[in-house]
Amino acid sequence: MDHATTLTTPPVTRPKFSWRRALPWLIPGFLIVLWQVAASAGWVDTQLIPSPLAVLQDGVTLWQSGELPKNISISLFRATTGFVLGGSVGFVLGMLNGLSKTARALLDTSIQMLRNIPHLSLIPLVIILLGIGETAKISLVTIGVMFPIYINTYHGITSIDPELLEMGRAYGLSKRALLTKIIFPGALPTILVGVRYALGVMWTTLIVAETISSNSGIGYMATNAQEFMNMDTVLLCIVIYALLGKLSDLIAKALENLCLAWQQERSAS
Amino acid sequence: MPSPLVEFSRIGKVYGPTVALHDVNFSLYPGEFIALVGMSGGGKSTILRLMAQLEQPTSGAITYAQPGLVTRVMFQNDRLLPWMTTLQNVSFNSHDKAQQAKAEQALAAVGLRDFANTFPNQLSGGQKQRLALARAMMAEPQLLLLDEPLGALDALTRRNMQQFISDFCAKAHLTTLLITHDVDEAARMADRVLVVKSGTNVYEAAGAKGQNAEAVARVAAEVLDVILAPTTAVS
Repeated sequence: MDHATTLTTPPVTRPKFSWRRALPWLIPGFLIVLWQVAASAGWVDTQLIPSPLAVLQDGVTLWQSGELPKNISISLFRATTGFVLGGSVGFVLGMLNGLSKTARALLDTSIQMLRNIPHLSLIPLVIILLGIGETAKISLVTIGVMFPIYINTYHGITSIDPELLEMGRAYGLSKRALLTKIIFPGALPTILVGVRYALGVMWTTLIVAETISSNSGIGYMATNAQEFMNMDTVLLCIVIYALLGKLSDLIAKALENLCLAWQQERSAS
Repeated sequence: MPSPLVEFSRIGKVYGPTVALHDVNFSLYPGEFIALVGMSGGGKSTILRLMAQLEQPTSGAITYAQPGLVTRVMFQNDRLLPWMTTLQNVSFNSHDKAQQAKAEQALAAVGLRDFANTFPNQLSGGQKQRLALARAMMAEPQLLLLDEPLGALDALTRRNMQQFISDFCAKAHLTTLLITHDVDEAARMADRVLVVKSGTNVYEAAGAKGQNAEAVARVAAEVLDVILAPTTAVS
């Protein structure tokens, strides 16, 4: 009866440490420790590569002086404004060309030509035309973000299963209902892939734009620090980029979990 | 004899250079369950698509007993919307309370009441087809068209679903047209079995509803020039 007793004993519940959750942070943590050890032991020149603690201290100082919050918020403002503008234009164009053959014939060739111009190569033109003000940087982000969203929206809509559309029509759905109940939800997974990719483009574009022509923002902070050989701040900016990138990725993932619950169910079953 | 619900007279259908149907005549009477058998590419599906008004005939006329006859198709593959739950698939995610209540009833009628909030990808093949049937029934159709809906199911589930659909349609007094390449299935489910030979002629096969599957199979084989294996017609 020993076995039976063992089986009926309720499992002891204790807050357990989950390796799976800690695993993603193992490599970043290890690298920071290694970096600190290398700096403390004098393996690297701390003039060129300051220790993580020095970078952290610099961050705290800049935060307290108000410079860091100011620059982060101006960068976030540019990034989100550009993303919303470019994302909206890309989405509307993608929907339009995905749904209408006439619109596709009219617009797609032009869009494909523009898409193949690396948007960062427009920086000289944008600086001359728009100066180094907000409009210039927001425009660059807008252009950069627009195409991944456009391509994925268009692709998502044109690759809807025609059999589902036929079913919808045969079952008497209106054009509007077809759009909201079949076409959009069917295209959503692909659109969200575009959103995720566009978030990456958004940061890259903004950082390059701020580095080249700006008087505020994180990119400007890094360039400015470089001129004064202030390596703490340069490294701080790089760490901030990494964290902002991770943040965007988390937002994109949360959005996917929210909108694509039906796909989660499949992987769970 | 009552007047037909749908009548095909001298129907022809051409896709480019391919003649899918030529001079097809037959009638479908209210309340009956007919099966249309024939080989793949023989024009069965074209007949169904014309009847569902998914396509228009190239020649001839289809006469319906009344204008605006409500027709629903159950397709070969279930064509469920993967992003909607079972209940939403039936009601097309309607926010109308009456529609929702009706959808719940339709789900209950096919035995899926407990799966209302499940996504289709968690259902079995048979459950998916039952869900598709519930969705088709929402509009209270006067004519149900079944386009080989059981083709993808395993043999055992298929037998169960044949019985289920037969009983369901009989109970609802629903006029039904079943397309299948399985003579045995046709004989088991239908009141009347029609054999389509390469889009040109529709022959009526004797006996149905499992009573004379062998006879049906024999007629089908003669029409289609197929040599029957002795076990084919065992029901």
